[in-house]
Amino acid sequence: MAVTKLKLTKTKPKRSANASLQALMAAALALPGLIAAPAYAEDDEVGFQYGHYQEGKRQLFDAKSQLNPIEVDSLQGSAKIKLADRLKFAFNYTQDTWSGATPISTAPVTRNANRLRVEGDINSGATPLIGDTQGVFDKHLTPMKLSTPGDLGSTVLGKDTRLVHTLSFASPETRKQGDFKLSYEWDKAALDMGGGISIEKDYESRFGNLGGRWDFNQKLTSVSAGVSYTNSHTHAMLDHDAAPYYFTRGSLNPYDNTVNFATDSSGIKTIDGNKEDWATHLGLTQILNKNALVNLNLGYTHSSGFMENPYKVVTFMFVDPKSQLRPDGNYNGYYASLLEQRPDERNQWTENLRYVQYIGALDASLHFDYRFFHDDWGINAHTFELDWGQPLGNGWTVTPRFRYYSQSAADFYQPVFLAKQGLPGAGILNPDGTANGKYPSNLSLSTLPSSYSSDHRLSGYGALSGGVTLNKQFAKGVNFEMGFEYYTHAGSLKLGGGSEGSYADFNYYVANAAMKVNLDALASADSGHSHHSNSDHHVGHSGHGSHAPAGVMFDHALHKAGYVMVGYRYMYGNQAGNILHGDSFANDTDISKHGCANNPCSTAPTYMTMHMHMLDLMVAPTDWLTLMLMPQFVDMNMNLHDLKGAPDDPNPHVHPGGHATGGVGDTGMYAITKLFDRPGHHINLSLGISAPTGDVGVKLRDAHHSGDLFIHYGMQLGSGTWDFKPALTYTGELDKWSWGIQASGTKRLESKNSSGFAFGDIFQSTVWGGYNLTDWLVASIRGVYTVQGTIKGEFNGPHLGDGAEGRAWGGSQDYTGNYGGRFWDVGFGLSTMIPGGDLRGNRLSFEWLQPVHDDVNGYQVERDAALSATWSYMF
Amino acid sequence: MKARNFVLSVMCCVAYSGISGCTAVQPWERGNFAKPHMALDPDPLGSALSEHNYSSREGAAAGSSAGGGGCGCY
Repeated sequence: MAVTKLKLTKTKPKRSANASLQALMAAALALPGLIAAPAYAEDDEVGFQYGHYQEGKRQLFDAKSQLNPIEVDSLQGSAKIKLADRLKFAFNYTQDTWSGATPISTAPVTRNANRLRVEGDINSGATPLIGDTQGVFDKHLTPMKLSTPGDLGSTVLGKDTRLVHTLSFASPETRKQGDFKLSYEWDKAALDMGGGISIEKDYESRFGNLGGRWDFNQKLTSVSAGVSYTNSHTHAMLDHDAAPYYFTRGSLNPYDNTVNFATDSSGIKTIDGNKEDWATHLGLTQILNKNALVNLNLGYTHSSGFMENPYKVVTFMFVDPKSQLRPDGNYNGYYASLLEQRPDERNQWTENLRYVQYIGALDASLHFDYRFFHDDWGINAHTFELDWGQPLGNGWTVTPRFRYYSQSAADFYQPVFLAKQGLPGAGILNPDGTANGKYPSNLSLSTLPSSYSSDHRLSGYGALSGGVTLNKQFAKGVNFEMGFEYYTHAGSLKLGGGSEGSYADFNYYVANAAMKVNLDALASADSGHSHHSNSDHHVGHSGHGSHAPAGVMFDHALHKAGYVMVGYRYMYGNQAGNILHGDSFANDTDISKHGCANNPCSTAPTYMTMHMHMLDLMVAPTDWLTLMLMPQFVDMNMNLHDLKGAPDDPNPHVHPGGHATGGVGDTGMYAITKLFDRPGHHINLSLGISAPTGDVGVKLRDAHHSGDLFIHYGMQLGSGTWDFKPALTYTGELDKWSWGIQASGTKRLESKNSSGFAFGDIFQSTVWGGYNLTDWLVASIRGVYTVQGTIKGEFNGPHLGDGAEGRAWGGSQDYTGNYGGRFWDVGFGLSTMIPGGDLRGNRLSFEWLQPVHDDVNGYQVERDAALSATWSYMF
Repeated sequence: MKARNFVLSVMCCVAYSGISGCTAVQPWERGNFAKPHMALDPDPLGSALSEHNYSSREGAAAGSSAGGGGCGCY
């Protein structure tokens, strides 16, 4: 559950680029009050990280799954800044988007739960079967293989004890977390408090923490302690294909959790639950000698409330040993699935030992961690970790790492459960497999275990992982990192045996890339450079006002060869409200008749929200040329509503809570050159290419037996085509005034992408004016006109609105003619260049874009607002 | 529980010998601890990502810190 931690004893050293700096530091450490405790002073730092998690395929034996295994795209941003001399503030933002197949249950292979289903033109691969099915069991209640699974009249082929995961595919989902820490340092102590919130469609978690650290023994020893509280709420929508099955058990209702049935016709069932965690820890860090330190941590966590995974079901074999035997001497019985049940309390203890050793001969560091975890669910786990940090010279560091983990199973874990009774609600079977018209008598819950789960995370297994991180520290305080880790989970790797079978083995890999900017190091490196003085570089830069408002890109080039700029750009856009047809409001009847080309329309968007995170990396190889690289990360959210008065869709597409997608977007590469550059007047030309790194094959999960369908065009993560993106910009300034005008465009270089379509070309023109309210604050106003064409082509696979037999009709968002249009906006911006202090030279800009007029192609939901925010630093 | 007691006693020994047994390291002798790769956690961003992946796939990952956090139960 724990994700991004605000580690209370987390330490961060001064980045020392060379030996003389280290010597200086060692001298500085000798000064009273400056002695760094085992926990070092933290620098102001900004960091960004992208990570990709990809799981491998699972062993499915008889079934061939076409479902892609789960993958996760993660984005992290963090900032640590000094608010005052001893007061620090740290902020982290994390977001993950995941989609793909994971186990929903475990069942005997003979149940054929990963069955291949082919319907019409759709080959949907393995789709999970977790409803009731009939089966044959021998005298020892072992599952028997049938020539036709589920058909009691078919030939019994013999005993089959193999197990297999039942895989289920999930549509993309996104989690977002923001958390902060505020800390105050005394000479020999520190106090910090933090908190945060994590939000998913079906899970919301809020947390707060308080911690302290005391240094003594000439700062050779530090003691830390902390306490935290987390409150989490689950609001899970149960699989609408599967939910009808696991509640109909006659009078048997083992669920102690609230299961809510929707009152409308959607048939959606939800589970709501609350969970609380109290955690405490006590830590000791000790410098052992001038080359080694040790850190000990004891932790205790008490959790109570809803701890089930609402999407995991447990396969039960219902066989009544008192029932009549079949002529072949076997029993007839049922496979059925129940939602998992876990205890409502959990006490967890951890003991963690970390040892850090400096290896002088190689200038290397060795990290050894051992952690022992124990809880009252019966899980004992050992973790060993070994890292070797090896500087290679020129700022390069390579860190190979190795990890081994082993856990015993929870007491209530079993891959499959056996209930020696008839299945409540299902008819008693005759020896020949026909129903005899009678039902099992009411059963008491005592025939079932009080808790049961087949979640493989609670099974006994071991895991080995190894990886390497490569890190390049540039002298000016900028640090780039790339890492890779491969992880293998196997029952056979468990310490001491007694583990899960090999059917549950799986692997994953994680690749990550990060950029960290040390603002203190930048500031100090910068003050040593005589070739660009303060007035030229920082103040001068903000002063001449040639920077456009936050929503404008490609407006400026770097001044001199060798300059570098790093930046981060965030854009938010929201569409909500009325549906427009052209520039006027459309009513539901009109939309349902004309909004979906030649088909009837059943839905229209209620809202569509987009967030874009971009890194802005600029370098000037010569005075006249600036190169720019812009990787993007996007996530989107959309909800639909039924159109009133529309004819009933025979295959409605129900999805309360909406759809979400997210991940890496397209990557921009640009070259900017100064065509004209005189005091007061500048003309820049930018020529760029956008590479189709964003996925345009994002699909919805197979629901309502309609197969895997492409999600709406606007929810795909990129354009899918190579695009040409030119921009011509004029900027000028006089005294406190600045202004600019820009024309820019996006021309698709391909007629269709790998999914069969291409978004329309874009042309945009904008004009703005700014006024310096103070030396460091600029206010701006801007007008924007944008025109974009409709989508060319169409999805080349099954999608909503393709008019296929048995498919939901879809809505206006599924038709290519309902994209693009002519749009007018007004922007209000503020921009600041921090004039002094540790953060001097950092530039922050915000701009609010207010739509003033829309003239859309076809039928589209109107635009609500957009926001741009940027941070940048040039050196 | 046996394993746990063993671990606890090892930790106590280390802690005791650490405090009492080590020679005083003067502040100017602590230069090695200032090296980036000598930090207790040299790469907080990277380890947060790894921890998140472990916690979504392992039974014991909760309770490793007193920080709190979301689910991300993929």
